[in-house]
Amino acid sequence: MSTPRATTVLIAALGGEGGGVLAGWLVDTAGRAGHWVQQTSIPGVAQRTGATTYYIEIMERPAGDDRQPVMALTASPGNVDVMVASELLEAGRALENGYVTPDRTTLIASTHRIFCMAEKSAMGDGRYDAERVRRAAKQMAARQVLFDMHAAAEQAGTVISAVLFGAMAGANVLPLSRDAFEDAIRAGGVAVDASLAGFGRGFYMAQDGRPANPVGNTSQAVSDDDGLGDRTLTDRINRNLPGMLQELAREGARRLIDYQGVGYARFYLDRLEPMAKLDATRGGAGRQFALSREVTRRLAVWMAFEDLIRVADLKIRPERVARVRAEVRAAADEPVIITEFLKPGVDEVASLLPPRLGRWATGLADRAGVRYRMNVGMHVSSTRLRGFLPMWLLSRLRGWRPRTLRFAEEQDRIERWLQVIQDAVEVDYDLAREIAIAGKVVRGYSDTHRRGIRNFALLMGAVPECMAAREPARSFCRLRDAALADPEGDALDIALAEMRATPTSGATAVA
Amino acid sequence: MAERSFTKEVEQLRLGDGDTFVGEGILAVTKALLQSGVSYVGGYQGAPVSHLMDVLNDARPIMDELGVHVETCASEAGAAAMLGASINYPIRGAATWKSTVGTNVASDALSNLASAGVTGGAMIVIGEDYGEGASIIQERSHAFAVKSQIWLLDPRPNLPSIVKMVEKGFELSEASSTPVMLELRIRACHVHGSFATRDNQRGTFSGQNRIADPSFDYGRICLPPSTYVQEKDKIERRWPAAVDFIRDHELNEFFGGSADDVGIICQGGMYNAVIRALQQLGLADVYGESVIPIYCLNVTYPLVPSEVTAFCASKRTVLMVEEAQPAYLEDAVNAALRKSDVQTRVMGKGLLPMAGEYTGEVVLNGIARFIEGAVPKGVDLGPVLDSHQRITAAKQKAMKILGEPIPTRPPSFCTGCPERPVFSAMKLAEKSVGKFHVSADIGCHTFSTLPPFNIGNTVLGYGLGLASSTGVGPNMERRVVSVMGDGGFWHNGLTSGVANAVFNNDDGVLVIMNNGYTSATGHQAVPSSVQGGGIRSEAFQPDGQDIERALRGVGVKWIRHVRTYSVSRVMGTLRDAMTTRRGGLKVIIADGECQLARQRRIKPEVRARVTAGKRDVRTRFGVDEDVCTGDHSCIRLSGCPSLTVKPTSDPLRDDPVAHVNNDCVGCGVCGEVSHAAVLCPSFFKADIVRNPGRFDRWRERLRARVIGRLSGADRVTGPEAAA
Repeated sequence: MSTPRATTVLIAALGGEGGGVLAGWLVDTAGRAGHWVQQTSIPGVAQRTGATTYYIEIMERPAGDDRQPVMALTASPGNVDVMVASELLEAGRALENGYVTPDRTTLIASTHRIFCMAEKSAMGDGRYDAERVRRAAKQMAARQVLFDMHAAAEQAGTVISAVLFGAMAGANVLPLSRDAFEDAIRAGGVAVDASLAGFGRGFYMAQDGRPANPVGNTSQAVSDDDGLGDRTLTDRINRNLPGMLQELAREGARRLIDYQGVGYARFYLDRLEPMAKLDATRGGAGRQFALSREVTRRLAVWMAFEDLIRVADLKIRPERVARVRAEVRAAADEPVIITEFLKPGVDEVASLLPPRLGRWATGLADRAGVRYRMNVGMHVSSTRLRGFLPMWLLSRLRGWRPRTLRFAEEQDRIERWLQVIQDAVEVDYDLAREIAIAGKVVRGYSDTHRRGIRNFALLMGAVPECMAAREPARSFCRLRDAALADPEGDALDIALAEMRATPTSGATAVA
Repeated sequence: MAERSFTKEVEQLRLGDGDTFVGEGILAVTKALLQSGVSYVGGYQGAPVSHLMDVLNDARPIMDELGVHVETCASEAGAAAMLGASINYPIRGAATWKSTVGTNVASDALSNLASAGVTGGAMIVIGEDYGEGASIIQERSHAFAVKSQIWLLDPRPNLPSIVKMVEKGFELSEASSTPVMLELRIRACHVHGSFATRDNQRGTFSGQNRIADPSFDYGRICLPPSTYVQEKDKIERRWPAAVDFIRDHELNEFFGGSADDVGIICQGGMYNAVIRALQQLGLADVYGESVIPIYCLNVTYPLVPSEVTAFCASKRTVLMVEEAQPAYLEDAVNAALRKSDVQTRVMGKGLLPMAGEYTGEVVLNGIARFIEGAVPKGVDLGPVLDSHQRITAAKQKAMKILGEPIPTRPPSFCTGCPERPVFSAMKLAEKSVGKFHVSADIGCHTFSTLPPFNIGNTVLGYGLGLASSTGVGPNMERRVVSVMGDGGFWHNGLTSGVANAVFNNDDGVLVIMNNGYTSATGHQAVPSSVQGGGIRSEAFQPDGQDIERALRGVGVKWIRHVRTYSVSRVMGTLRDAMTTRRGGLKVIIADGECQLARQRRIKPEVRARVTAGKRDVRTRFGVDEDVCTGDHSCIRLSGCPSLTVKPTSDPLRDDPVAHVNNDCVGCGVCGEVSHAAVLCPSFFKADIVRNPGRFDRWRERLRARVIGRLSGADRVTGPEAAA
């Protein structure tokens, strides 16, 4: 109805993020402007890292009218003018709750992600699809101001609440002047300059209304020089692999040269080329070579398996030290001492021995019942000579690697995997592709690696049954997901049992 | 040092006649208490009234000037018993706590207080922890008011109304010799607003004007025959007196409306939600001018039957807006109408949900359905239903576009929390000793029941972790592990748990989280708190209230101190406790100061040291992206907010990799966990030396030269590179 109403602002933030400060600033700003203002929040344990909200109502005081408006303590759907979210998923939550409506809501949200426990504790990729939120925001908000405010805050050397506050001012949706906003920050008296800098960025972005930065952009720098330093490899890739796979294959070859040497990279191509050919004969061209694309990346990663030698090699690299310095924000003149947490066990050590000797050792440890219990916990400082030298020596063992037990075992598994893929593609292209992706099941260290080996064996063993299923690819995919579902591997056992329990096998399992 | 300081805000408590107070609910309540001339106040912290305790403590100087005694009570029972001062003497006092849990703890004293009756006004400010943000079981305090006959005030959620009800509440209490409860819902406790203040009043008696002669009156003693007399007095004198007072002083409010063939009766606390819903439906304006008549109950117990019938008599139907269940008010209103033979139809539960918080949305839907069914005279239903339809449709559309529900984000252990690693250790210990039953307690550590830990099989109440293991323990194959915080320990755990277990020679394991504060409620002090922060650990304190001394005092023999951050040691100690042949109670005191409090304490110190150019080592943890294989076991075992994932920059991989963000406080748990669990070598610890000394620089140069050469890098890294 036409009578005046309060302007409502709902702020969604995570506990400890300074949402309270932000709300406080706004209340102060409105108060200075002589408006009626009311704020509510949810005190207590809800503010320990969890999602929380602050709700503010502002109303101008008509001259000569002292009647106090009745303001609500909670936001209600369809009744929010400004929806502020300090993180993208929280914006999604606001949308889900109906707090963003086309008739009146301006959505101001940061596009960066802070992942929920459910998202980050998943064994594979459990992240919520950010695109869903962006799509909903575009359709539901009367107006949206979306950009990476976390990055903006970092650049300004302040906290995200300052940038959000600036964006609220810049969006021109509140009956308040920019000066009033900035005065509130000054009155706060804490880190004023940094806060004002962040405020400025937020204000500018909101006024300018530039598009949001993409979230989680994976930087894939591709240089003209393919960095292989070996003509023959370059030629083979260009000659024997479909164009759309070449960059990926170059990346793989680079990885393996760095890992073992040019010879090993050739070995990689020896394995890859037949796959690409096979793929082509199975109509791969029409499928963007989905199968050989997967093989190209999984094979390279698998062949560059992480053993003690590799870990030592990676950890003593100069560029790594530089990366760490940058990550921990060490100033130029500040020494940084890096300490590694290593705990090699029987398997790790034995894996460096020749196959026969290694198996004897692990067998011995098994009989003694200490195979998985005997570990040497080490805190090694790779930036101190005492810690660096042994790791450096270890990294020099690269030449010895092809003679080790671990090397032999991984190669066997890889061969088996490639073989299964080849057999599968005869039956079903997509099944073969899913099996190729399953190459990532074997990864990690100690328990994780053992679990991977076990799951890999189970998966490969189940392929024939999947072939018999009505939808081979989907039934295998289901098993693979189960293999990545829980640490104990129970999910996979259950999924297998289910599939075998039903005569029509995978078909019903996926139905 | 509490999480939030009110030292600046409390200055407003000095405001007098003609001034205007601007601030939040709890502070306004405190001001109202002073305007009412209280002589003593106290309570026990717990959201949503934790900060009321902080305000009282920060206001001590002002309180002292007025001779008001502030007691930081050991428990709600203690706080309720404190109100006994008002039984014999004409002195006003107030106590506060979280309800219903706090009221449960206090109920013994409350029953006796209510039976004896009061001379001076006695008020209990209860934070009704119900609905969004609540951290406890969902019940109503209303039942306590009814069963013990304590008047229940439920003011409209704006500062003038709240302040008025505090002041009138004391008068009501004295007029009817009955204690009163002031119920404040979660959001009302911190609602920000303003009101016109009055001068503070001094109590007739106080710390500055003490009582010379104690008074004795057997009629005030809770023993027969007094108790029989007291019960009669409740019904025959106190109740009618209260009803008269409430009616004569118009504590409940009537708001007229043109559509007077229908009406809405609501709890005071629900009034704003009702007005907003009507406004959204176009039936009220922002100033509360409503088309539908409203009867607002600022006193929800006792009801004033004459007011109820007067409001309803002329109406076909009324809607009772009463949050939560059972529907005490709806039933009472029905009873009152039937008794006076008024046939008005009372709607309520059914149109509105029986259970759950009455948010703006819930009330909107309920009132829309009521209007639709009642068809008030002169109201055009069309626009009303349209606006309601529009709102609900928008929400459904958003959900449809999102496709799948947004994952929840419950509260959890903070970055660097000292309690989290204890549960990592429990998870790991399970591998060797087998799964064991854990009887959890109230506190931050209750988060252990959430992912990624899901540890803790039962929660029975504050400080009752150990007590709740006594029945299940003897029936379990393995020993039961009980958890208790230092807060719960002093609240009642020492007696109900420890002393009881020793007395019964129960065989079990107790882990006491010694973090130095009641952290979940905002870092209020506990008896074992150390002046200026920090915690007492191994260093045995001859003086002071020490947990270990208390344990020994009640006869605990097996006691171990363990630093929570050393996961392996915690794991080992747990294993010992689980497997030792020694019977009886085995107590592990897990020492680790709350990291929030610690950071607040040391940050200024560090800043000062660094700016003064003194050497300081900053520690941060990290993950080597190229070593991490994206399995995330570390996250499942640690659960630290700063240990998260980020997209891999490796074009050959797809799964996100673990990543430590810049919130890391360097507690070291992630490294400890990956070590204890033999996870992976991806973690590293970086010690950044600020204001390095000559030796630091020399060693750094050497490092750069030798290591730089060996690692095949003429590109020397570190300082030189930047220099």
